[in-house]
Amino acid sequence: MVSKKIVVSNPSGLHARPASVLAKAAMKCDSDVVLAVGDKTLNPKSILNIMAAAIKKGTEIELRCDGKTEAEDLATLVALIESGLGE
Amino acid sequence: MKKINVAKTASRGIVAAPVYLYEEADLAPSEAVVSEQEKALEKEKFDKAKEEVLRELESLSAENEIFAAHLEIAGDFTLTENVYEKIDASMNAQKALHMAVEELAEIFAAMDDAYMRERAADIKDIGKRFMAALKGIRLPDLGSLNRGVIVVARDLYPSDTVKMNPEFVLGILTEEGGVTSHVSILAKNLDIPILVGIKGLLTELTDGVIVCMDADLGEVVIDPDEDEQNKYQEKKVAYEARRKHLIALRKTEPVTKSGRRISLCINAGSPEDIRKAMEVGADGVGLFRSELLYMEKDHFPTEEEQFAVYREAAKLMPKELTIRTLDIGGDKTLPYYTFEQEENPFLGWRAIRISLEMKDMFKEQLRAILRASYFGHIRIMFPMIISLEELQEARTLVEACKEELRQKEIPFDEKIEMGMMVETPASVILAEKFAKEADFFSIGTNDLTQYLLAVDRGNKKIAAMYDSFHPAVLAAIRHIIEAGHKEGIKVGMCGEMAGDPKAVPILLEMGLDEFSMSATGIDYVREIILEHP
Repeated sequence: MVSKKIVVSNPSGLHARPASVLAKAAMKCDSDVVLAVGDKTLNPKSILNIMAAAIKKGTEIELRCDGKTEAEDLATLVALIESGLGE
Repeated sequence: MKKINVAKTASRGIVAAPVYLYEEADLAPSEAVVSEQEKALEKEKFDKAKEEVLRELESLSAENEIFAAHLEIAGDFTLTENVYEKIDASMNAQKALHMAVEELAEIFAAMDDAYMRERAADIKDIGKRFMAALKGIRLPDLGSLNRGVIVVARDLYPSDTVKMNPEFVLGILTEEGGVTSHVSILAKNLDIPILVGIKGLLTELTDGVIVCMDADLGEVVIDPDEDEQNKYQEKKVAYEARRKHLIALRKTEPVTKSGRRISLCINAGSPEDIRKAMEVGADGVGLFRSELLYMEKDHFPTEEEQFAVYREAAKLMPKELTIRTLDIGGDKTLPYYTFEQEENPFLGWRAIRISLEMKDMFKEQLRAILRASYFGHIRIMFPMIISLEELQEARTLVEACKEELRQKEIPFDEKIEMGMMVETPASVILAEKFAKEADFFSIGTNDLTQYLLAVDRGNKKIAAMYDSFHPAVLAAIRHIIEAGHKEGIKVGMCGEMAGDPKAVPILLEMGLDEFSMSATGIDYVREIILEHP
């Protein structure tokens, strides 16, 4: 398993649109992806899960990928979040 | 016969027509417990319903983007997994779906963000669609109407109204909802008389019974006797004759009997609003609420996005388009920006105070406005000004943006006017000084009244004290107009008061130059101006 911590920079946090972008990208990953925020963990392949977590700007989240493609999946998702998820 | 009176009204019109009860289909889930062997079958039932829902939403989302969001949620595996888990715990598919939807909706309803809370309604809407598919029933459909009716419902959601044929919906009555709910706004735009929030209405009515409604007075008469029906018929004829008369006046310029040409403008939030108002014969837009552009997006609108909207609006109203810069805070928030909790939001971080602090964001808006000014006659208006320094700083930022555009050789109106809302006590007291620095004034009576009288606009308990005819408010208005005219600048008004038939003669007497109001008020105000000495 590989993991990385990132701070969410979207002005409105992981709102409807960024949540949708993240869920779609996570869906394409073959490895198992877990998003940890505080002491909660969730599966970011679901837009509902992401939206329900109400992650605000400036929150530190941790992405964990586990599986054959874990390294590249983690890199893809981290880059996507760092680039602002299409915002 | 029974009469009901409704306190809050937000539309006009008189209708007498049979009732079409838009009853919700029976979507209560079955309570049956499933055995071990039946579980796979229940999951299959759910999968099938899901396929059907996704197909429906797919075709709906082509017409309306609300359903694109619904489609995404309906297809989400969290929902499916949640339903599966419940089926594994011996619930039938209907019960499992019901529970899963309720749980999800509850999570969203409990969030502290207003935008997210509203998503709970979307989730319930999707839940209804799933349940109808599971039960093999069709949801009632306003698209299948073929005669004129008054639609009566508990409430109407986007998925109810999307297929509605306005030709046959002569009026709408609902038990729930407020004057700013989805269906109220929709009905107003379609010019359908509507009354909302009528408790206990559904139990009073049966399908096909005749109902008379006066949306302006807030009166509903169920099963009227002959006398009452005749009375309504007369009222309807008189109302329509008056409407006809007012519509005929639209071609007449609003000039008082003494020959003063008054500018008659509309308030708008989008080019769509302007397009709908084209026929009322307005001189321009006296208040373009740019915040709506910010509120309906899920990010701060970019310069390009704003430019496209302002340009379109400027082309639609070439004589005048007064754009108020971002007026957010107070009771207006943004779905994508977290405002700190404030003790007194109306006295807090709002409007120009935000713009002058978030300068990059502000300059994007100013550049967009300047670029659009090339395509019509745009005026820039700053809200909530309390000091000369604020006005000067805002003007300096506009000059800086102008310089940037010159460098890039992008054309704009070099002589663009920069004015201000007069809506704070400070700006009233210093009106003479402001009149030297501003190119025009626009009086915002909604905030001015609450600030001058120290009466909260939204506090029901003191609602009767909120009075724009209070001598202090009237004296302030007179002072603002005189101060403006002394420096030779035009003074307008864009608050509710400008469209109030009782206020118009007083304001004309004081010398107000421009009246700006919602498009539905223009006809009535024009008539008053034409009859004014």
